[in-house]
Amino acid sequence: MLDRLSDDLDYHALNAMLNLYDAEGNIRFDADRMAARQYFLQHVNQNTVFFHSLDEKLDYLVEEGYYEAEVLAAYPKEFLRDIWAAAYARKFRFPTFLGAFKYYTSYTLKTRDGQRYLERYEDRVVMVSLTLARGDRALAMSFMAETLSGRFQPATPTFLNAGKKSRGELISCFLLRLEDNMESIGRGINSALQLSKRGGGVALMLTNIREYGAPIKGIENQSSGVIPIMKLLEDSFSYANQLGARQGAGAVYLNAHHPDILRFLDTKRENADEKIRIKTLSLGVVIPDVTFELAKRNEPMYLFSPHDVQKVYGVPFSEISVTEKYDEMVEDKRIRKKKINARDFFQTLAEIQFESGYPYIMFEDTVNKANPIEGRITMSNLCSEILQVNEASTFNEDLSYDHLGTDISCNLGSMNIAKSMDGGDLGQTVEAAIRSLTAVSEMSAIDSVPSIRRGNDESHAIGLGQMNLHGFLAREHIHYGSPEGIEFTSVYFATVAYHAIRASNALARERGQSFKGFETSAYADGSFFDKYTERDWLPESETVRALFERFGQQLPTRADWAALKEAVMTDGLYNRNLQAVPPTGSISYINNSTSSIHPIVSKIEIRKEGKIGRVYYPAAYMSNENLEYYRDAYEIGPEKLIDTYAAATEHVDQGLSLTLFFPAEATTRDINRAQIYAWKKGIKTIYYVRLRQTALEGTEVQGCVSCTL
Amino acid sequence: MKDAQVLRSVPRAINWNRLEDEKDLEVWNRLTVNFWLPEKVPLSNDVQSWGQLTPEEQTLTIRVFTGLTLLDTIQNGLGAPALMGDAITPHEEAVLSNIAFMEAVHARSYSSIFSTLCSTKEVDEAFRWSQENPHLQAKARAVLETYAPGADPLKRKIASVFLESFMFYSGFYLPMYWSSRAKLTNTADLIRLIIRDEAVHGYYIGYKFQRGMETLPQARRDELKDYAFSLLFELYEIESRYTEELYDPLGLTEEVKAFLHYNANKALQNLGFEALFPDEAAEVNPAILAALSPDSENHDFFSGSGSSYVIGRAVATEDDDWDF
Repeated sequence: MLDRLSDDLDYHALNAMLNLYDAEGNIRFDADRMAARQYFLQHVNQNTVFFHSLDEKLDYLVEEGYYEAEVLAAYPKEFLRDIWAAAYARKFRFPTFLGAFKYYTSYTLKTRDGQRYLERYEDRVVMVSLTLARGDRALAMSFMAETLSGRFQPATPTFLNAGKKSRGELISCFLLRLEDNMESIGRGINSALQLSKRGGGVALMLTNIREYGAPIKGIENQSSGVIPIMKLLEDSFSYANQLGARQGAGAVYLNAHHPDILRFLDTKRENADEKIRIKTLSLGVVIPDVTFELAKRNEPMYLFSPHDVQKVYGVPFSEISVTEKYDEMVEDKRIRKKKINARDFFQTLAEIQFESGYPYIMFEDTVNKANPIEGRITMSNLCSEILQVNEASTFNEDLSYDHLGTDISCNLGSMNIAKSMDGGDLGQTVEAAIRSLTAVSEMSAIDSVPSIRRGNDESHAIGLGQMNLHGFLAREHIHYGSPEGIEFTSVYFATVAYHAIRASNALARERGQSFKGFETSAYADGSFFDKYTERDWLPESETVRALFERFGQQLPTRADWAALKEAVMTDGLYNRNLQAVPPTGSISYINNSTSSIHPIVSKIEIRKEGKIGRVYYPAAYMSNENLEYYRDAYEIGPEKLIDTYAAATEHVDQGLSLTLFFPAEATTRDINRAQIYAWKKGIKTIYYVRLRQTALEGTEVQGCVSCTL
Repeated sequence: MKDAQVLRSVPRAINWNRLEDEKDLEVWNRLTVNFWLPEKVPLSNDVQSWGQLTPEEQTLTIRVFTGLTLLDTIQNGLGAPALMGDAITPHEEAVLSNIAFMEAVHARSYSSIFSTLCSTKEVDEAFRWSQENPHLQAKARAVLETYAPGADPLKRKIASVFLESFMFYSGFYLPMYWSSRAKLTNTADLIRLIIRDEAVHGYYIGYKFQRGMETLPQARRDELKDYAFSLLFELYEIESRYTEELYDPLGLTEEVKAFLHYNANKALQNLGFEALFPDEAAEVNPAILAALSPDSENHDFFSGSGSSYVIGRAVATEDDDWDF
């Protein structure tokens, strides 16, 4: 009945046809391609401002205050014409409707009334490249080539904002500590507002806040615990958004052994009272190894008052390893404690994840063992891939800093694995990516939150991510999670790690400077490199070896690693952190990738967002002929996903957003088992738990692709 | 019917381990995991989007929702309780009480939308409109007649399936339409939760109708079928006029009618009857049809809650699970 692709259907309807099989049971990829075409014909082309020449266009955009004049002034006019000509010569086309639609609704420069488009995709890419290259012409050309070819894609804040005159920050993500005093809490809320306004996601650590009922100034039963702070934060985030372009978003992290942990989790219950219900704030729980040991022995787990811990040890609760001090704290009479059953705790965790998808989990001891930098990692961020050390600030009575600590910011960008493999030179792509991300760090100075500014200035921490793993594997007829798939992942990530360190080492030589704390890191004494010089991380199977060979990729040998170790020990590293694999939502649509290194969630993904409504997206490189390689995350199951992530985790200095997928018929026990397996395999963090309910037989929408299993 | 009488004369405790119809437990389980409350959906994220609708579009939206509120109120207060009296097994009665409760939650949800997006005056006006609108009232009356005490239990089921699977949809069309145009997307999430429930309700009541039909002589079956089709014609007449009145100003009437045909066929299918409208007449705009499916939606979790989470089955871990 829907077999005619007629011109009278609008692009939304054509796009929606992707989710409905045709009469022969085929997925209608042609309808989506036509939707993309119609979108340009019916909408984009008619609403784009026309200029006779590049000069006219650039003059106009600078005069009208759309583009930053300084960005363009750093280059001769002749070069600008060259780079634009080179960009347009590449004949870029959006392969999917969602890619085009997402780009034009969310990224491109529009007239101030929001009605007309001022940029095409090529313009945006060139402006971002020119901005980040800061006058270096060769670098600008290389950024343009890497981005337009799809090999490297800067994260949304960078890609959206760079080169525009009125804009938010280029950085994606911020992490703030809160300490157990009103000055720190007040500062934290203010910082959350400031950062949210500038377009970042903000995570805050609540572990050090004294629990419900704790004494204040020695008077018992005074503290209201962490929940009211969460309420304040939730409201702050919904108030502050980035010029309406992005919703404010925040997360809070709490240690599993904090006495408020069950209240904290209950805020996401389906039947939670309105007074305590948390709707849009994301939750994360920090779980040390000892909690697993206690659950294994089916023992109670003690929760410790952060207020008392701080008094006894003289440092905030977050700075203590609960695993290390657990028995000591249990014995210590001065520390008030509560007792819950450890297995019940894990079950509650899973129940809440069923109902809400939250909380995220950070495996505290795994993270700290793998951390090459001196100091403790106490929290993660909104997407659970940032794992960096931080340092508490203290305040004077007038709220000025007594001691300026460091907080964390991270700017991200992701490589498209398929395109990077096609490109034939991973080293070159990684180096361009590292230089682009470093530029963002160097160009950012968040003065409204001095602890963030200090953290960034001293560390130049960046997060290089990856996407389109499933798309690439499927295109090459390798199943996600198969032995070859896992082997490829390991070799690929080892290679990226090598080139990332190599590029950061080169930057340290050029700048004559390393990140602060390099001397005490595992890079400086060379111990970080042991695992790369003691064994090979090269392909073992013929399939994977042939794959790298076919694309002409050079892989680093043990000798290469040994040489890199010497170079790093001599000249240092410019960036304290290099890799972090984010979930990649929007940018993977523009880039025609599958998200992150996850399996696809569905052959045809239903995407919903406030700004774009409901849109349908086909997995990258999928056709009616290779569907068997596109089994989705629910079919693949948690183990293969965790195995794939474990192979990648080995070579990533920060974290990777790992979502677990279950059918709605699963139980809390299935979730718990997956968590235990993940922890055992050395996974650092777990992001969302997602569920899929199959429609009751007889109630499904007929012929719907995303509904069939 | 005999069992129902026994239930009334000798009070009997419900034993879920002695099922007379497996379907009761299956549907009970589905309904309980699907439990939700409107508070879970961050409707206030739609305030900006609401402000961008024209005054006419706003009025239409409020009216559509008051119409839906009326239907849910009927189903909660009269429909489901009336069906409970006809229940053959105690388990069926339990399932129907869940259905009745969720209908109350649905009716409550529309008020959540109103209180988040609109002013009291606008809402009061719309409720007055719903009391005065002849088509809406005719719709309500047609169903209420079959729910009256002493009415035929199977005819009640027919009316109830039409209500759950057909009559809601002229109203559901609008939020789905907005959501396919990136408007009121969180409201659409909430409506999708309601659609998820109503789909199961219509399916279950239809299923019970079919079980009831099995034991009847052919003459009686024919009579019921005639009744079903004539009631559907009557309801369709009213629904068409109601649709024209609401959607003509936006020029959407033809599309909504196609959607009505599609759902009328679905309702008949739930009752075990053949489709009434030919496929060409039931050709729904793909954007709306695709928007109906609640599952596997992917969104940036920071701005919405989605409609795919459920209440999970809690099972304690065993020692083996902790083997590391």
